[in-house]
Amino acid sequence: MLGYWTTVTDPEKQGPDDVGAGFILEHVQDHVVIELPTVLGIDMSITIHVLMMWIACAILLLLFALARRQIGLVSRGFGNAVESVVVFLKGDIIEAYLGEEGKRFTPYLLTAFFFVLTCNLLGLVPGAATATSNLAVTGTLAVLTFLIGQTAGILKKGIIGYFKSFLPAGVPGFVAPIVFFIEFIGVFTKHSALAIRLFANMMADHLIVLTFLGLIIIFKSYLVALLAVPGAVALELLAVLIAVIQAYIFTMLSAVFIGIALAEEH
Amino acid sequence: MLFVILESNLLAVEPGLVVWSAITFLLLLLVLRKFAWKPILSALENRETHIRESIERAEEAQRKADENLKSYQKIMEDARKESREILEKGRMTAETMREEILDKAKEESARMVEKAKKEISLEREKSLDEIRGLAVDLSLAAASKLVERSLKDSDHEKIVEQYIKEMKVS
Repeated sequence: MLGYWTTVTDPEKQGPDDVGAGFILEHVQDHVVIELPTVLGIDMSITIHVLMMWIACAILLLLFALARRQIGLVSRGFGNAVESVVVFLKGDIIEAYLGEEGKRFTPYLLTAFFFVLTCNLLGLVPGAATATSNLAVTGTLAVLTFLIGQTAGILKKGIIGYFKSFLPAGVPGFVAPIVFFIEFIGVFTKHSALAIRLFANMMADHLIVLTFLGLIIIFKSYLVALLAVPGAVALELLAVLIAVIQAYIFTMLSAVFIGIALAEEH
Repeated sequence: MLFVILESNLLAVEPGLVVWSAITFLLLLLVLRKFAWKPILSALENRETHIRESIERAEEAQRKADENLKSYQKIMEDARKESREILEKGRMTAETMREEILDKAKEESARMVEKAKKEISLEREKSLDEIRGLAVDLSLAAASKLVERSLKDSDHEKIVEQYIKEMKVS
């Protein structure tokens, strides 16, 4: 089985009949759309994932341009829907985990939620790609959360206070260096996990749906479709739920990590 | 399966994509912060203050209304009490006045009867006195006539008759 997969991913060995896993990877893998020259050794070509991010941005700008006029003292129509989401994020995530201090981080966290959500959902559109199933994209977002949280922590507590907060109060002297080290590394681990969680979930979503459909081709029988297609549809529906949940989790964990960085002691 | 993922470089991080992600996201953040989050959040805040103020105003109005009602009830109660008092007082005054008038009338009538009685008795006394005086005069006159007649015997009868006549006339 594994051998079969590797053979079909090898372009040279891929025959006209062996398109099994090829389309799976084509869907989840990034590829260049517009070639651009390298700048400072970095290939700045516009890839499908960059394009999807821009489409997400365009959708969001359109959405908020529409919603903004309908949100006021008395909101109406579509503005109400957008507003209820904003109110939920503001109350249940930002104020719940960051309190009064959360006001400063509200624009970042709201943007992160809507951006991730739109990218996730766009990935479900046939023919589109999921920018959030690329580690570079989720990694960038996690780094932003990291930079925002840690900078705010340093600005609030001072550089000494910031490093002191890695050492919980009441730790005996001889374990203090180890605890400090673990806590310090923990910050990086947490943010790496933030990036990988989103990336892996979105990636797995598509891999599993496409694998179900791939079964038809692998077994070379239309009968398999009787099971594979309903299974794929069910998983696609689950993917809608996961797209929303992962956007929520990313925002919530970002708020939690910023909150930890701001906390006096933890 | 895992092998496929590793083989196809799904875990690779393209620096170009990192740069594009950062630029795209930060631009989106800046634009949305200015054109979406600020107006939406301030609208939410405005509504919150508006609702809070409305509730406060409503509570204040309710409190005032309760106060007014209480004061009106007190005024009504006072007025009712006062009217009862006035009525009571009026009735009492009327009662005393009636008794007074009755007493006075009784007294007056008694006094008048007394006065009439006195007058009657006085008049009677006076007439009795007059009669008495007249009787004396008459007897004197008769006596004097008798004395005169005795002088002239023959004329005795005549004198008495005349006298009686005179008496009748008077």
